[in-house]
Amino acid sequence: MARYFIRRVLSLIPTLFIIVTLSFFLIRVAPGGPFSRERTVSAAIMENLLKRYHMDEPLIKQYVRYLGDVLKWDLGPSFRYKDQSVNELIDAGLPVSMALGITALALAVFLGVLVGIISALKQNKWQDYVAVSVAVVGISVPLFVIGPILQLFFAMKLKILPVGQWISTNGLQAIILPAITLSFPYFAYIARLSRASILEVLRSDYVRTARAKGLKESVVVVKHVLKGALLPVVTYLGPAFSGIVVGSIVVESIFIVPGIGKPFVQSAINRDYTLIMGDVIVYSLILVVANLLVDIIYGFLDPRISYK
Amino acid sequence: MAAREKQTSQVNEFNQAFKPVSLWADAWKRLRKNRFALVSLWVVAFYILISLAAPLLTSLGIIYDYKGQIMAHANLPPSMLSAGEVTIIKIEARIALLEKQLEENGTKESAGGYSASTGFDFGSPAASSEEVAPPPEGAGEVLEEGVEAGEPQVSDARDFTMGFGDPIQTEIDQKKEDLAKMMKEININPIHRRVYLLGTDDLGRDMVARIIAGGRISIMIGLVGTLTAVFIGIIVGAIAGYMGGYIDNLLMRFVDIMYGLPYMLIVIIIMAMIGEKARGSFVILFVAIALVSWLTIARVVRGQIISLKNSEFVEAARSMGASTPRIIFRHLLPNTLGVIIVFSTLLMPGFIMNESFLSFLGLGVSAPDASWGTLVNEGVRGMEVRTWQLLGPAISMTIFLFCMNFLGDGLRDALDPQSKNRT
Repeated sequence: MARYFIRRVLSLIPTLFIIVTLSFFLIRVAPGGPFSRERTVSAAIMENLLKRYHMDEPLIKQYVRYLGDVLKWDLGPSFRYKDQSVNELIDAGLPVSMALGITALALAVFLGVLVGIISALKQNKWQDYVAVSVAVVGISVPLFVIGPILQLFFAMKLKILPVGQWISTNGLQAIILPAITLSFPYFAYIARLSRASILEVLRSDYVRTARAKGLKESVVVVKHVLKGALLPVVTYLGPAFSGIVVGSIVVESIFIVPGIGKPFVQSAINRDYTLIMGDVIVYSLILVVANLLVDIIYGFLDPRISYK
Repeated sequence: MAAREKQTSQVNEFNQAFKPVSLWADAWKRLRKNRFALVSLWVVAFYILISLAAPLLTSLGIIYDYKGQIMAHANLPPSMLSAGEVTIIKIEARIALLEKQLEENGTKESAGGYSASTGFDFGSPAASSEEVAPPPEGAGEVLEEGVEAGEPQVSDARDFTMGFGDPIQTEIDQKKEDLAKMMKEININPIHRRVYLLGTDDLGRDMVARIIAGGRISIMIGLVGTLTAVFIGIIVGAIAGYMGGYIDNLLMRFVDIMYGLPYMLIVIIIMAMIGEKARGSFVILFVAIALVSWLTIARVVRGQIISLKNSEFVEAARSMGASTPRIIFRHLLPNTLGVIIVFSTLLMPGFIMNESFLSFLGLGVSAPDASWGTLVNEGVRGMEVRTWQLLGPAISMTIFLFCMNFLGDGLRDALDPQSKNRT
């Protein structure tokens, strides 16, 4: 187990290295840059600007310098947000984005599994049909449609929840709408997934044995069925987390949440090199770590898997 | 003719003639039993037909030009009445509201000085962002956006009652003038006889036409993107699966790394890389999306090919001297077609969603072209007052995605009955 863990962690290094290298050169290859505006500045000012950000050096030298800085977790100054370093921007936004993402994921897993259990136990009854239709709607409706409609209904018409912003300005209530919006598609998928796998487990021999022993139905469901049926859900958590992290870009822009999503999109439009790179590094770190965690949890849950 | 005779004269082990059932006929039979999937198929066909016929319908005058701006018809609600009548109703309602406000102001003023209650009222989006308490950073942007979005409607939706004289009175006069002008024009100018079933946007463009035009681009990006992704996926998957060895290893490690990156991130990087000039063109957009979405297809095709490549019919082909490309393209790929079709139908709604996602963020299709994403984005800005501008495109898009998903599920059940109860 320990050896497997170490090997997995070590294998993250080349992945991250390739991601950093690829995105660094991809962004630099294209013409134009963070300083190309409609208004042209004089050559001397341009030269000073380039010098300040080390942009006058050859690309390879810049790359090596950047790589060294990243190893020290110094992501450089932002080109567009003056007087703010990328580290500061990320430090300010990341906790917000993470809180939103984790709340949404927890919500999706909890509600999804709950709905999955109910619809599997009541297969082909009305509860099942309701659950399945909600799930299909959840998968088909894009985030940026659900978000504004929830906003319109709960915040503008009923006025029971804040329209946007974050906990710091609007209290804990502010997290409700964005988290529901963000979790909706994943809730739907998890509900479908857990319904299918619970149905499969319900037909298995060991569940029949458990029932034959005269165990209470609740014990059978919680101790026998769920343990086996949740494995596919755990496998799905990795991709779900990656989707939630990316989806939060949209949700943050709908609900004006001060996370890292909006600066990221802005940086892509402004071609703020260092900020794009910083965000890419942070996002991919989150993802690879999430995938690693899922693999490890999976190992604990499923004794048939042995890590060698 | 000979082939057909051969087919009908097939016999089973009891020497009885029987008609062989192909995989496709069998699948079609199963699909027809699935009513949801069948309805979805019709809906999807309808959308595609309308999208294809849109230029023809526009030239015939059945739908209006999606770029045509008629400022007099800005922000009309959905209605079966002609545009002139709707405009008159709208202006009259506005005048009534203003007069009421004027009256209230009068009573307030006589009660005690000038009240500030009507003093500061930006457009609605700004008002909503004012509701939320003073925000930290990014708030300046928000407020600016709000004012920007509110600007076109300052003169007609809400008032901007700051300044000299009595702005409400001036607006009433102006509106009355508009009303008189409209009354005069309504019977002369044929343009006022237009009917906007789903209303108009803030530049007076017909929402029906815009939704159809948006659907054209969204569906086209979905189709072309899917085809590109399937093409790349098949080639990479087939090569990796058939060759095996270090080529397989190399290609699949590359796929793994691409999988490790969230796919929208790559697209956003590519969009950033392309730069401003080319960003508006949707050709680049779908290429960017397609370039990173062949991964799943490649994996699936590879798996299928590995499981098939040691079967007897491949060996037979090889022993007859068939070349490698021939074995791959004539013998192996046709056997994986079912899986590929299923994945393609499930890939397409994903494409449309991703394109809309980018357009929503302002990285995709740019004006005056529209996709469903940009339409929803425009609708969100004024959704409090003009709900129809959000609901129209949002609902049309959702119905299409819904049907594509249902169709994909149905096709999967039809082509691969063993997966019936899997998600």
